Amino acid sequence: MSWIDQLLQSPPGWSNFLTFMALGSMMLTITLGFVTYAILAERKIMGAMQLRHGPNQVGGRFGLLQTVADILKLLLKEDIRPAHADRALFIIAPILTYVPAFLVIAVLPFTEAFHFADIGIGLLYYIAISGLSTIGIVTAGWASNNKYALMGGMRAAAQMISYEIPLVMSVVGIILFTGSLNLIDIVNAQESLAFIFLQPIAFLIFFIAGTAELNRTPFDLPEAESELVAGYHVEYSGFRFAFFMLSEYVYLFAISALITILFLGGWHDPIPYLELDGPGLGAIWFSLKFIGVVFLFIWVRVSFPRLRADQLMEFGWKVLLPVALANIFVSAVIKEFFF
Amino acid sequence: MRGLLKGLAYTLKNMKQEKITYNYPEEPVPMPERFRGIQKFYPEKCIVCNQCVNVCPTDCISLTGKKHPDPDQKRKIIDTYDINFEICILCDLCTEVCPTEAIVMTNNFELASYSRDDLFKNLEWLDENETNVREEN
Amino acid sequence: MLRTEEMLLNVGPQHPSTHGVFRLVIKIDGEIIKEATPVIGYLHRGTEKLAEDLTYTQIIPYTDRMDYLAAMTNNYVLCHAVETMMGVELPDYAEYLRVLAMELGRIASHLVWFGTYLLDIGAVSPFLYAFRERERIINLLNELSGGRLTFNYMRVGGVKWDAPGGWFDRVQEFVPYMREQLAGYHDLVGGNEIFLSRVKGVGVYSQETALQYSLSGANLRCTGVDWDLRKHEPYSLYERFDFKVITGETGDAWDRFKCRMGEIEESLKIIEQTFDQMPAEGKTMAKVPRMIKAPPGEAYVRIESPRGEIGCYINSDGKKEPYRMKFRRPSFYNLQILPKLLEGENMANLITILGGVDIVLGEVDG
Repeated sequence: MSWIDQLLQSPPGWSNFLTFMALGSMMLTITLGFVTYAILAERKIMGAMQLRHGPNQVGGRFGLLQTVADILKLLLKEDIRPAHADRALFIIAPILTYVPAFLVIAVLPFTEAFHFADIGIGLLYYIAISGLSTIGIVTAGWASNNKYALMGGMRAAAQMISYEIPLVMSVVGIILFTGSLNLIDIVNAQESLAFIFLQPIAFLIFFIAGTAELNRTPFDLPEAESELVAGYHVEYSGFRFAFFMLSEYVYLFAISALITILFLGGWHDPIPYLELDGPGLGAIWFSLKFIGVVFLFIWVRVSFPRLRADQLMEFGWKVLLPVALANIFVSAVIKEFFF
Repeated sequence: MRGLLKGLAYTLKNMKQEKITYNYPEEPVPMPERFRGIQKFYPEKCIVCNQCVNVCPTDCISLTGKKHPDPDQKRKIIDTYDINFEICILCDLCTEVCPTEAIVMTNNFELASYSRDDLFKNLEWLDENETNVREEN
Repeated sequence: MLRTEEMLLNVGPQHPSTHGVFRLVIKIDGEIIKEATPVIGYLHRGTEKLAEDLTYTQIIPYTDRMDYLAAMTNNYVLCHAVETMMGVELPDYAEYLRVLAMELGRIASHLVWFGTYLLDIGAVSPFLYAFRERERIINLLNELSGGRLTFNYMRVGGVKWDAPGGWFDRVQEFVPYMREQLAGYHDLVGGNEIFLSRVKGVGVYSQETALQYSLSGANLRCTGVDWDLRKHEPYSLYERFDFKVITGETGDAWDRFKCRMGEIEESLKIIEQTFDQMPAEGKTMAKVPRMIKAPPGEAYVRIESPRGEIGCYINSDGKKEPYRMKFRRPSFYNLQILPKLLEGENMANLITILGGVDIVLGEVDG
């Protein structure tokens, strides 16, 4: 029984409350710290690929405080709410988007020792909770009383529903091989071989569907700047806008961590023969793989144009879903005959 | 798929390329010799011929002359010379027609200001504007 | 049964993809456009009316501001019209300088189109790559004329400046560099499956439609009409150059893309040939009177601007100002087909089609 389970089962009291509080804030700090620097990294990498410097004014040569300044600015901005917006929904929408983004982090195991909720259906929990964010986006689009926002919200709903399915289907192969939905079990099953080698097609589908879930180029239709100005958050400003922005990057954190866990072997060393599974090394391996995945997401964003809404649907239902289903079948066959 | 990968390779290749942006407000952008910037005016050279006023497409130049203090001299000298940079389009025609090169271009282009009044430049200001004066006019 | 209704949506005048102050009132059913009405005039400055009070030399800076992405061709069309009326013969050297400047401007203009078009379609990077090359051209033209955007370089009877020392060498260096970058663009965009799926078969019109709507430039050539004024009605020195007229086949946005990218290549060829033919030095101005007065009468000249056929009509009563002046501004004419093309398309295609027309609002509104 791990220490977190002992904590959960211990009698309530002030010390327990404070421990939970401290753990929660620690996680929040790590995530927000990541978000701060992921935004900076994205801008820096985009800048480098586009022959620019990126932020280099606030916080020294590398613009280390740029995101902090941006968030501060958003905090200080006047909170504008359109006169004809649906007041209650308008206020609740950013929260609906933001809360699930943080809920999903609970189940992600980062290293052997550093993980929070070790629940049996971790993967299912992740997928179920992350789907909830769509409701927030649709609500935002509807409540803004803006035609562009409405179109953005509708696009988001259509897109996220149709990409949720291939996303789930692509991981079924992994579940077949592991025999468990627990993310820690999934990582442990990859001690000798990461699943990306066993399930390359699943990885590809998961990556594509994950990009669509994140609303990132080439699937950034809900906020397609050149078409819908800013999509579902066109009427949001100040900290309500920051909520959407933050949840987007928290999801980037979560999806990248999930890819690392599901396909890249989590905290296990990349080359199994080196036997480099030390106690502190797990965190390093995890972060290296994780940074690689985040870089991949940014790299794709820099390079590709956007798909069209109907092509996106067609691609999701007619290409990704059949391929994902075929992958499940092939995985079952491989599992039956070779393992 | 191949096209997408080629695109990825292209962006990655450019990551190592030299940056092409200017560090503008900190370092001035060098402008070539012929660049048309804010005018410089030499009152002593001006013969009050009014050609620059006539050629200006936007009518942004206004000038007045006065009698030469030396009564023997017949020609006039310049009294006031104003350029309204709200409407000046820096087209270079005034410096082109000036027979004595009394009005010439400089390479300065930073005209931004918080007040529209600051954009109205008079003779003294134009006389003192003597950095980066263009040689060929 | 769900109650549905059509939605009236204002795209612009403040919208990221209308390339300026252009407004499009569209009736949409979901994302499908039922009716589109372009509203123009937000950038109207009355160039033609202003010109009636200006001498011919004074009009030149105004033409810079019509098609501000290819100001050299605008300069040329005005000067060419006045020269035609006055019967001025230009020195070869001045004409070669003009051709060089115009072709460099054409490349710069197509680069801006390439960058902003990809930006419309959702890719950010090509915009910055295109502007890297454009910056080099702009710097070259800045050295030549003293302006980065509004060149005001040509005069009736010649050009204002001779090329500065070393300028020809820098242009010659630029040509192979641009070729190399062009190949890079094809890697980045030309073969990109997402891009192809966005532009292939979008905004198709036939040759007849294109001719009926009086389209010109790449918008006409993409349907396969072999019509380039540089080739078929040579002005300046274009009959001395060997270049191809790039035509498409299907008349969709992809063909328009190919035409424009091909034209960059052809312009580079023209620039190369210029250096082979050009005299080492010569006069930059023909003999023209100090006060330029077009003789009474009228004249219409047309040349090939990056956007299509730009024409200049002058009606003169012998004074130093024109009596009436009219510019045939290609963007304005090319825009007229938009309501027809947009019918039945969705929002994403709206941007693809609008971007593909390549409008410059300064020119549309005059």
